[in-house]
Amino acid sequence: MRLSELQVGDKAEVTGLNVDAAIRRRIMDMGLIKGTRFKVLRVAPLGDPMEIFFKGLYLTMRKSEADGIMVERSGGVGDGMPMHTGARRRYGFGGGR
Amino acid sequence: MTTSKELSIALTGNPNCGKSSLFNVLTGAHQKVGNFPGVTIEKYEGYLDYRGYRIKVVDLPGTYSLTPYSPEEIVTRKYLIEHRPDVVVNVIEGPNIERSLLLTTQLMEMEVDFLVALNMMDEVEERGMKINTRQLQKLLGCHIVPTSAKKRTGLESLLDHVIRVGTGDITIQKNKLFFRSGLEEPINEISELLAAERELAAYNSRWLAIKLLESDREVYREIQRQPAWVKAEVVMQAALKDARRLYGSDPEELISEDRHSFIRGAMKECVELPKEKRTSLTDYIDMVVLNRVLGLPVFLFVVWAVFHFTFTLGAPVMEWLSSLFSMLAVAGGRYLPDGMVRSILLDGVLAGVGGVLVFLPNIVLLFIGLSFLEASGYMARAAFVIDRVMHRFGLHGKSFIPMITGFGCSIPAIMATRTLKSRTDRLATIMIIPFMSCGAKLPVYVLLCGAFFAPSMAANILFGIYLLGIAVGLWTAWILKSTVLSSDSEPFVMELPPYRWPTLGSVVFQAKVKALMYVKKAGTLILAAVVIIWVASNYPRSAVIEADLQRSRAAVEADAGLGAAEKEDRLSALEQSAQSEQLAHSLAGRAGMLMEPVIRPLGFDWRIGIALVTGLAAKEVVVSTMATIYSLSSDTDTGDLQATLRSDPAFNRATALSLMVFVLLYLPCVAALGVMKKEVGRWKPVLLYSAYSLAVAWVLSFIAYRGALLFL
Ligand SMILES: Nc1nc2c(ncn2[C@@H]2O[C@H](COP(=O)(O)OP(=O)(O)OP(=O)(O)O)[C@@H](O)[C@H]2O)c(=O)[nH]1
Ligand SMILES: [Mg+2]
Repeated sequence: MRLSELQVGDKAEVTGLNVDAAIRRRIMDMGLIKGTRFKVLRVAPLGDPMEIFFKGLYLTMRKSEADGIMVERSGGVGDGMPMHTGARRRYGFGGGR
Repeated sequence: MTTSKELSIALTGNPNCGKSSLFNVLTGAHQKVGNFPGVTIEKYEGYLDYRGYRIKVVDLPGTYSLTPYSPEEIVTRKYLIEHRPDVVVNVIEGPNIERSLLLTTQLMEMEVDFLVALNMMDEVEERGMKINTRQLQKLLGCHIVPTSAKKRTGLESLLDHVIRVGTGDITIQKNKLFFRSGLEEPINEISELLAAERELAAYNSRWLAIKLLESDREVYREIQRQPAWVKAEVVMQAALKDARRLYGSDPEELISEDRHSFIRGAMKECVELPKEKRTSLTDYIDMVVLNRVLGLPVFLFVVWAVFHFTFTLGAPVMEWLSSLFSMLAVAGGRYLPDGMVRSILLDGVLAGVGGVLVFLPNIVLLFIGLSFLEASGYMARAAFVIDRVMHRFGLHGKSFIPMITGFGCSIPAIMATRTLKSRTDRLATIMIIPFMSCGAKLPVYVLLCGAFFAPSMAANILFGIYLLGIAVGLWTAWILKSTVLSSDSEPFVMELPPYRWPTLGSVVFQAKVKALMYVKKAGTLILAAVVIIWVASNYPRSAVIEADLQRSRAAVEADAGLGAAEKEDRLSALEQSAQSEQLAHSLAGRAGMLMEPVIRPLGFDWRIGIALVTGLAAKEVVVSTMATIYSLSSDTDTGDLQATLRSDPAFNRATALSLMVFVLLYLPCVAALGVMKKEVGRWKPVLLYSAYSLAVAWVLSFIAYRGALLFL
């Protein structure tokens, strides 16, 4: 699934970056790499740039950039799934922080 | 390095982490600070004396990594490599520590002498974050000093550490960040190959090897010229293949992932986030400000509010100043003896310089409004809201930030376009900035709006003028991008900072600086222009007109059939018409007459023509020239230009509108043209642009004039 296909409120995890080399570098520099979990916060009033939130950072990007970011959707609004940004703990029970 | 007691330090860090704020509190400088990424676009130097050391501090543009992306980021890397400051201070945005540490890992790779200033500690505490600096120090191998540029804490400790690192009292541990197998081996191999190259001795070879695998273009070019490249290339190709085979990716991505996993580990060990997640104030504000329905209205309202604020709040003070100058003019008229000195003081200096100084309150308010937009954090949001529109016209959401700056002054705005990566986007943005009406044009609008329109209308007309400028700018961009400057547009990936309250002190200070600058400009450039205008509109004098005047005057005096009052009237009428004839005969008059055929269709006479030409020196001069010329041609020394204009038969609402449109759109001032040339690199585009702006100004003023004649 592509980031641009997510709905507002969706939570997801990045699985791959299929974008231009230069823009991929910028996206990675921002900390959006494989395995990063984020939440789609909103779409701009005119429908184009979208805003996502991860690791305490509010990042905006155009849909054309979001098109190249492959993601796996992990939850929607208010489903209680944590948008944890640490190491993956999907299969962990308790333990760790 | 210890022999002379001098030290140089450079401030590096992510955009918006508070480098310039720190620079300001350290050196007492007043670099521009704003709450959006990309405020600083050039390096700035400052000095401070501390414990017997003279420390040179360099403020650099923010950068997310040491492989630069946009022109201003290149400055930073170049500085670090070429100038080699004694100590690099890596400023980290405390609340955003995870993202900030990426740059730190790259400084570790470069093995420069650096230390970390963990800035914005006040916000860290406020959010309930806990950062274990001691542990983090161990992991990074460098010293970490908590600071807050806002609260001015940790500064002494920072300087103490700078001195200790600079003098070698404490050494950097040079911790290495190891990469996964499949990367680490080729990095080592290449690094050994490069270490043998004498020409590369200045660089850290491991850093070069990593950059090479990250396919950094500049490093690549440098190394390709070395003999070692033959062997290095073989290793590199193998590494590329391995990365694909083992991890299904390329070294660049793997290196980035490894850095991030190092950081993630460090975060887990050293940073404790608050237990419960609170919705922050920023979240609440953005729910409204970036709302799908409200976002655009809020945006329009904010821009409108700034101009309304400028005009409405400024008006009473302006009235007051204006009546002060009128009183001066009346007093001067009564006590100064007739003659040249009186005329140069009253018609020249007082009318011209005073005419400009009257608008001081408006200018200050405009800059306060703009600095509020910049400091609050709304700027980046505006770019987000408006990106779609900008994109339609071939521009970038980020182009919007220089455009707003352009409402203050075109010069910093043109320079601010350096944050745009794509050259065509940048050129297009530079070309439209002069259409964003700058603060120097404001006096012209306020003068004309105030003279010809009711106060309730005036603010809206003012807003309309600014909107027209934006519309023409967008239209120009669209033409440029769909013809000469077509290219792929630049990607839009931008961070939104949290909202921050502008501190009262900085707002007041900014206002003071702008006010002083304006007064200084009035006292120097504008004063000089006024004197030149005065001379040009008084000389040469025609002896024929003078003789005529004497003759008719004698005739009136001798006429026994006239009463005393009637005589007085006739004489002053004669005086007045001779004055006008002299003005038309003068150098300025004759030059203006030459222009008149061209500007006549716009409703302008030769006097306005002269004002427009002199306005190229600085736009306020349009007002002061008009003040001088109109004051010379009228003998009522009231000093009130608005009243004079209203009573002038050649001037009406249509002329006023037409003149505002023309001033909005025609050539920018000489200084701005110079900066344009500097940023673009060639004269040709600038000259083409000049011709274009004149043509657009003429056509739209013509439409405005004819339209107003029909409808008003
Ligand atoms: N609360 C708080 N805010 C700070 C501190 N230091 C800076 N700021 C704010 O952070 C914002 C960015 O500050 P700047 O100094 O312009 O940041 P910069 O690193 O120079 O940014 P660029 O020039 O864009 O790279 C401004 O709104 C400052 O007021 C601090 O210690 N505490
Ligand atoms: Mg700065």
